[in-house]
Amino acid sequence: MLPTLGHVAIVIGLGACAYAAIAFVMGGRRRDPAVLSSARRAMYAAFGLAAVASAAMMISLLTHDFSVEYIARNNATTTPPFYSIISLWAALEGSILFWTLLALGWSGLVLHRYRARHAALMPWVGMTLALVGIFLFSVMVWPGNPFTRITPIPIEGNGPNALLQNHPFMGLHPPLLYIGYTGLAVPFAFGIAALITRRTDEAWLGIVRRWTIIPWIFLSCGIVAGAWWSYEVLGWGGYWAWDPVENAALLPWLTATAFIHSSMVAERRGTLKVWSMGLVIATFVLTVLGTFLTRSGVVQSVHSFTQSAIGPWFLAAIVLALTGSVALLLWRLPDLGDRGAPPRAVSRESAFLFNNVLFLGLTFVVLFGTLMPLIFQATGGQRISVGTPYYNGLNVPIFAALLFLMGVGPALPWGRASWSSVRERFAIPVLLAVLAVVTAWALGMRSLAPLLTIGLAVFVGSVMGDEIIRGSRARSRGRGEAPPTAVWRLATRNRRRYGGYVAHFGVLIMAVAVAISSTMAQSTTATLAPGESATLAGYTLTNDRLVVEPLPDDARVTETRAEMTFSGPQSGTLATALRDYPNSSTAIATPAVRTALGEDLYVTLLSSDPKTGSVIVRIFVNPMVVWIWIGGFILALGAAFAIWPDGRRVPAAAPAAVPAKVPARVPAEGS
Amino acid sequence: MRMLRWLILPLLVIPLSWVLLTGFSVNPNEVPSALIGKPMPSFSLQTLSGETLDSADLAGRPVMVNFWASWCGPCVTEHPLLLDAQRRYGDRLAIVGVIYQDSTDAARAFLDKHGDGGYPDAVDEGSRLALDFGVTGPPETYFIDSSGVVRAKQFGPLDAPALQTKLAMIGVSE
Repeated sequence: MLPTLGHVAIVIGLGACAYAAIAFVMGGRRRDPAVLSSARRAMYAAFGLAAVASAAMMISLLTHDFSVEYIARNNATTTPPFYSIISLWAALEGSILFWTLLALGWSGLVLHRYRARHAALMPWVGMTLALVGIFLFSVMVWPGNPFTRITPIPIEGNGPNALLQNHPFMGLHPPLLYIGYTGLAVPFAFGIAALITRRTDEAWLGIVRRWTIIPWIFLSCGIVAGAWWSYEVLGWGGYWAWDPVENAALLPWLTATAFIHSSMVAERRGTLKVWSMGLVIATFVLTVLGTFLTRSGVVQSVHSFTQSAIGPWFLAAIVLALTGSVALLLWRLPDLGDRGAPPRAVSRESAFLFNNVLFLGLTFVVLFGTLMPLIFQATGGQRISVGTPYYNGLNVPIFAALLFLMGVGPALPWGRASWSSVRERFAIPVLLAVLAVVTAWALGMRSLAPLLTIGLAVFVGSVMGDEIIRGSRARSRGRGEAPPTAVWRLATRNRRRYGGYVAHFGVLIMAVAVAISSTMAQSTTATLAPGESATLAGYTLTNDRLVVEPLPDDARVTETRAEMTFSGPQSGTLATALRDYPNSSTAIATPAVRTALGEDLYVTLLSSDPKTGSVIVRIFVNPMVVWIWIGGFILALGAAFAIWPDGRRVPAAAPAAVPAKVPARVPAEGS
Repeated sequence: MRMLRWLILPLLVIPLSWVLLTGFSVNPNEVPSALIGKPMPSFSLQTLSGETLDSADLAGRPVMVNFWASWCGPCVTEHPLLLDAQRRYGDRLAIVGVIYQDSTDAARAFLDKHGDGGYPDAVDEGSRLALDFGVTGPPETYFIDSSGVVRAKQFGPLDAPALQTKLAMIGVSE
């Protein structure tokens, strides 16, 4: 019953989106508000229908309705309720349903919010979003129907992918990532609408910037949560492996980040417009490409599902989106002429330009690395893949240059900088950076990457600190405010700038944490009989006992668990296990991670002998890893602060709060 | 010049779709090996029973080289298949186990527990042979035909269909 309802909802949803697409075009051309309003309602209905289908799937998963093939393959009667519900996104068809729900949620939100504004743009925004909806629904109607039935109905299902039912983070990381992914259709829709209506002015950029940053925040959190998940679950002691699917999430993040920066120049100075438009298009195409890589099974990865019939559909979507949008961009190229003069060599514009070139460099390195196996194969060569050395070798210098720019850019004036002002601003930060590097060296740090990162981080941090101190001092002197009040007021009056600083501060923390944790981790493998101990980096671990028993909440899963005591900088007990799932040929590791601010103790069980109780464990001491997650959180927080609605309406001609830095022209507000 | 910029479109779209399209034609879990089609690396190793195993002695017969370790879980899973293969094809096929980064004591204990197929298990000091073969991690199995050319590789544990297909590639079948 429920599966039938879900299937019917999908079919009607396709119809609703198709109607909306046509009605948006008709209503837009005739400027007929009634038709446009019906188109909008059709999109809300499509969202409702996707919600009905998703709910039908979730309830069917919870009640283990194995007459649905998807549920028979990804659920079992013993699957705990939490993992049953999140199995909506545990495999291909279900995740496309979830994807559709989110994409239409974004569409509904945007169409509702701007229902009375931007009358020229919105029909085309609606049409583009409806086209995305048509695509997603038609994938579910034809090649990837989540409600396909099987007969005879199996008594027991296969159970979810063992890797995906091993950690509660599976309930967090995919939704965050998908929310980010699907949300990036919104700026694309605005971009297409602006190109069609030739309204490619600064006002367009304001809206698109805001609607890029919102999904970008989710995407950032999703990527960090994914790294965290892989650290907590996969048991190899690391958090990033340049896996094709990790890359697939990173690629649109890189271009979206580049756009967030370039759009500021485009908005302020009227330059970099084609570039910004190109980035919006690239970001969307890369999300579709990422989906293709994740869901079609053409690349090997921990995430890739089995090869399926949806591959060609996604390929068609990529080709259509790319051809359509690039053709439109080329056609409208004359409208996107830059008004401003080309940037001077040393100015904030040029810093932004370099920033963009570097982000694009990263994008190409990652894209090329990800597609390399396919490229080689297409050109008749061996199927080869590239590994971590390729990515690190090329990306680390680019990241270092980006960090440097992060310090220089915001401190340079728009227009042109004089050498004396540059010297004045950067002398002390450079000095502090050199001091920090020397101190780190004296403390025994010898590898280049962390030394360089620490130096750059201190440089950038002190430039930002200097900016904040100057600004708040001027304010507290001028208005007699206490320093903390002055900092807060300064920040809330210049949300974009200070939110940007907070986000940059998060990046600095992440950069230092990544550099240190990836170069200074220690590890060892130890074979321990019961009662025996191993030591690493000041920690002593003792094998207390080995337990083999079924999991309390799923009896089909056998857990082989080593219980250990540890002492040292942290002390206590831990348990690390290997779990044998009936549907997985390899045992799934459940590493024990003891997190502290300074370092993590990370223990994975490699193998054990139940007869003697002896175990082989791999022990890692990973410094500073928790700061990667903290930095990611600060990054998201800063971005949210930057776009938080002010609550006060700035009259168009009002003078800016801090005349010293902000040019007289008040930037067009996005919404 | 104006019109030239339209060239961007086909230059962007055609190669990308071509590259992505070819992705459909292969199984991504098939990890390639540079060795396929090349002669097997030669070796001379001590076996667990103390004899010397020379690759030259294997010439003229199809060979299956299996890298394994006692600490590797999937090696346990595939072990019965190896024993079965030795029983069925032992007269036509030379199976060679190579112990990968493991102590001889642990390896002996593994064979005591899970069964010794009677084929030689070689000790690979310093992982020299594993390096020559380009082993990523155990279990990994290489299939060499009777002329000494590597024809196929199994990355990860063998299963019955994979074993059958790959043995057929080196001329071993029922």
